[in-house]
Amino acid sequence: MRLNTIEFLLHEGWEAAVRNGLVTLAAISNIAVALLILGGLVLAGVNLEHMAALQTQKAVIIVELANDADKNAVEQALWDDPRVEDVRFVDKEQAFKQMMAKLGLDVLEKDPDLLGVNVLPDSFHVKPSDPQDIEAVAQESEAIEGVAMARWAKQVTDKLLTLARGIRISGIVMGIVLGMAMLMIVSTTIRLTIYARRQEIRIMQLVGATGWFIRVPFVIEGVLDGLAGGALAAALLLPMYSYCEQYVAQNLQFVDLIYSTQALVLFGLAVVLCGVLFGAAGSLMSLHRYLRRA
Amino acid sequence: MIHLQSVSMVYPDGTQALSGVDLHIERGEFAFGTGHSGSGKSTLLGLIYRDIVPTAGKVIVDGQDVAKLPPQRVPYLRRKVGIVFQDFRLLPQKTVWENVGFALDVVGASRREKYRKVPISLELVGLADKAEAFPHQLSAGEQQRVSIARALVKGPPILLADEPTGNLDPVASWDIIQLLRSICGQNTTVVVATHDREIVNRSKCRVIELVQGVIVRDDKQGGRYDAP
Repeated sequence: MRLNTIEFLLHEGWEAAVRNGLVTLAAISNIAVALLILGGLVLAGVNLEHMAALQTQKAVIIVELANDADKNAVEQALWDDPRVEDVRFVDKEQAFKQMMAKLGLDVLEKDPDLLGVNVLPDSFHVKPSDPQDIEAVAQESEAIEGVAMARWAKQVTDKLLTLARGIRISGIVMGIVLGMAMLMIVSTTIRLTIYARRQEIRIMQLVGATGWFIRVPFVIEGVLDGLAGGALAAALLLPMYSYCEQYVAQNLQFVDLIYSTQALVLFGLAVVLCGVLFGAAGSLMSLHRYLRRA
Repeated sequence: MIHLQSVSMVYPDGTQALSGVDLHIERGEFAFGTGHSGSGKSTLLGLIYRDIVPTAGKVIVDGQDVAKLPPQRVPYLRRKVGIVFQDFRLLPQKTVWENVGFALDVVGASRREKYRKVPISLELVGLADKAEAFPHQLSAGEQQRVSIARALVKGPPILLADEPTGNLDPVASWDIIQLLRSICGQNTTVVVATHDREIVNRSKCRVIELVQGVIVRDDKQGGRYDAP
């Protein structure tokens, strides 16, 4: 393509975006808000899944022994299950100390005699190689002679996964709705440009401009709108997320948000790219409708 | 150059614009298409630059059957056909120079080509000194000259003019017709649709007269057009 042609097309696209002034601003801010919401949902969803995955990975089954149990026989039976990856014995004293530590109580240091009131049983911590098997393994180990009960952090993991699934579904639904809205906004903006320049388009058609040549300036306008909207969304979203991550890291130690500068930059670029794609698609949509009639 | 073989045109609303038209216009010829409003003059031109496709018959322009042209090839046909309208169709926010250059910009011409061809075209229509003016600063006759310069800048073998003098006073009209005739001498085929009797009769050129979509007269040697 010739330099003159590139210059002409870019100039026409830029000119249109500027001439449309307020409408362009409206389109940009609408795209920005839509991408902000979508981006927020994606980040929330990804983090919840990440947390659920961490939980599941940590998931162990605590197999509590009956008072008269044969420890070695139970351990052997546990190892016999091919889905089991690791079996570790935790005696009642250890379990009690761990529990106290977890609760942040230092009573044991003050009064070691308290160990005497320990009602916790001896137990095995069993880790299945696939977290999916946790329920099945737990149920089977409960059937072993000498096992009082098997428990695992079913609720937490399940709730996180349910929440993540919910967010994913609502994210998809909102994505579709907001995506459509973005397309409508961009295509309406471009339709205004097309209307303002219908005379020019007609002349272009009459002097022999090809279809794509007529389209390109409008697509450039849509892309510029999308680029600006996407950049605005990314510029708001990334600092907001960083702030959240820092706040959570300082105040909610048990929550673990994903933080990687590289991933965030990529995510920001993806948001911008999303804006650009919607911008281009929106303008092509209204051009398709208009040029078919012309 | 332009051949119509038993061409009929019926618009979607049922209007019969042309019926069974046979017409041959040779390279370098100058022809008037005359008739009342609604006689089919504009339809005839529209068929030549493929704004419309005939419902029956063949339209062959520069050896190509235009009805068989796929849509993406239409722009290339239009590059061979310059078109001038009654209402000039200039872009008001562009200067004379830019309006003419626009026709080259949109077909992907180089800057060098543009700077070479635009002045020649403006010189030809006698507007070299008005290059920087905007359309609203020009008289109607001058605006029509700009649109002719724009139609000519690509050097098309065919020039079509649809009522080019419709918005002009008699003096300016005659000037425009003289200009179109001088272009015709330069190996360009020119077809002018008009209902201006005065002009047709003074010009003594080929006259194709249409009445209700039928050619009633095709007078190759300086015909008269006497219809009101």
